[in-house]
Amino acid sequence: MSWIIFANARKRKVRVAMTVGGIAIGVATLFALLSLSAGIENALDREISGMGAHILLLPEGCPYELTLALMQGSDAFEHIPAELLPDIRAVDNVALAVPVVVGKAKVNGQLSSVYGTTQEILQVRQWGIDALEGAVIGSDVAEKLGLAVGDIVTISLYTSVELPITHVLDRTYGRDDTFVFVALSVAQQVLGLADRLSAVLIRTEVVTESTRTQYTLARMSDIQAVPPSDIFERLMELFASIKQTLILITGIAIVAGVMTTMNTMTMAVFERKKEIGILRALGSTKFNVFKLFVTESLLLSLVGGVVGLIAGYVATLFLPKTSGFGLEATPQFSPIYVVICLIVAILVGVASSLYPAMSAARTQPIKTLREL
Amino acid sequence: MKIDLLNVSKAYGQGEAQFWALKDATVSATEGDFISIVGPSGSGKSTMLHIFGCLDKPTEGEVRVDDQLISTFSDQQMSRIRRDHIGFVFQQYYLNASMTALQNVLLPMQLAGVKGGKEKAAAALETVGLGGKLRSYPAQLSGGEQQRVAIARALANAPSIVLADEPTGSLDTATGKNVLDMLMALNRERNLGVVIVTHDETVAQKAKHMIHVLDGRIS
Repeated sequence: MSWIIFANARKRKVRVAMTVGGIAIGVATLFALLSLSAGIENALDREISGMGAHILLLPEGCPYELTLALMQGSDAFEHIPAELLPDIRAVDNVALAVPVVVGKAKVNGQLSSVYGTTQEILQVRQWGIDALEGAVIGSDVAEKLGLAVGDIVTISLYTSVELPITHVLDRTYGRDDTFVFVALSVAQQVLGLADRLSAVLIRTEVVTESTRTQYTLARMSDIQAVPPSDIFERLMELFASIKQTLILITGIAIVAGVMTTMNTMTMAVFERKKEIGILRALGSTKFNVFKLFVTESLLLSLVGGVVGLIAGYVATLFLPKTSGFGLEATPQFSPIYVVICLIVAILVGVASSLYPAMSAARTQPIKTLREL
Repeated sequence: MKIDLLNVSKAYGQGEAQFWALKDATVSATEGDFISIVGPSGSGKSTMLHIFGCLDKPTEGEVRVDDQLISTFSDQQMSRIRRDHIGFVFQQYYLNASMTALQNVLLPMQLAGVKGGKEKAAAALETVGLGGKLRSYPAQLSGGEQQRVAIARALANAPSIVLADEPTGSLDTATGKNVLDMLMALNRERNLGVVIVTHDETVAQKAKHMIHVLDGRIS
């Protein structure tokens, strides 16, 4: 039967291309959406767990916005007074309190994220270096600015400092790749944030007691204490609702695709009345005709599905890597997405061909032959 | 195989718009017969051919295929009779323009699930003198050649009877004669039953039996 379908497809190249294209767009959108969503979820997970903190101390304000600003390396314009640091360190069960200040500054003339912190950061980040001296730069910054160990880098915003690069970090595939790490006091000076902190990363001695410690810290004025896991869950919830909306829009596009394909197939049935009449005269049963149209639609949908998968894959490679959260997200490809997309393509094929195929099967050979 | 039309009438339309295309026709066809159904346009001859070919059922009367009443047959059974026992040739050939000559002949074989169809289809085209045009598309063939492809297609599943509706109607005299000679040779050499509908008396007279139809009645 397939050669009959291919012979017909050859005759209707434009229509076939349009049908395949319509299905491919829907499938490509779905595949890209699934892959990018997974990439963003991964990036969120990686960034939040990569902080290495059991508790995150933030200034007052929306904790999600503040966390995202911290991950993106932007100044959120809300700060923790640095004078609170000794009190924070004195709280029972606090093993480590790593002060952090972040903001954008010009690094050798180009806007980059500056991350000021203390030597304690080396106990929460697995960078494999001994000391935070001069400037430690992420691999993306090194690549973008053409910098290497030993070079002198100029960081400027409110003031300007010149620092030697002591380390270029190995690629982490996270935001650390885009930061310039300097001593806390240097960052405060450059960013004009003297005596202020963007956040404090807390490690506890007894992890199971972290909740109690979090409540104690939260009672301190001007700060809020949140576990990164809570932030992650809330951001994931927020992202899930965005994703649902996008899937709904994609679903509407796919339903529109079904309608278009159904219309194309219905028109094809009208155009091919003569062919159907001859097929019936030659001994084709109603079921044969029904099967022919459903198979044709299924084949077109499958081709559209495969083309859509390829297009979706290529599109995700070329789309901007920055997600709506300002995180660098690498699309995650999974065989399950391929299966989902192909199932959707098959369902589109079946759904769009049922009515036209039934209409074709109902064609009375004698009526058609009389009209020819 | 034998097809009997017994007191067959066929009406189209309903109420005041109803008209009888065929009235009270009794006629039979079997292997070896060469029958021409002749009459002017609208006389009911094509209607008779369609009922012969199990493409249509009568409004009144009986149609029997090997003594089996077809009014009780399902669509599938009617289709199977057409597929396995009857070949059709039409005035306008009705070939599939997107298929080659070979594929057009192969089509009924595919419907019947015949194995080794390509060789048989090529042999059928060889029989009608088109062995060298297997890969030609209908648009690349002359009218006479297209009608010969249609005849080869009708012969594809080795039917008992070929029903031809004005098979020479769209051809010039010489080509029409060739096509007719071919059908006569098949009747003679293969004992194929041939039923031709025509309004051309010259063509009709070549048949062993002539049936005149006028205003839906056999005269």
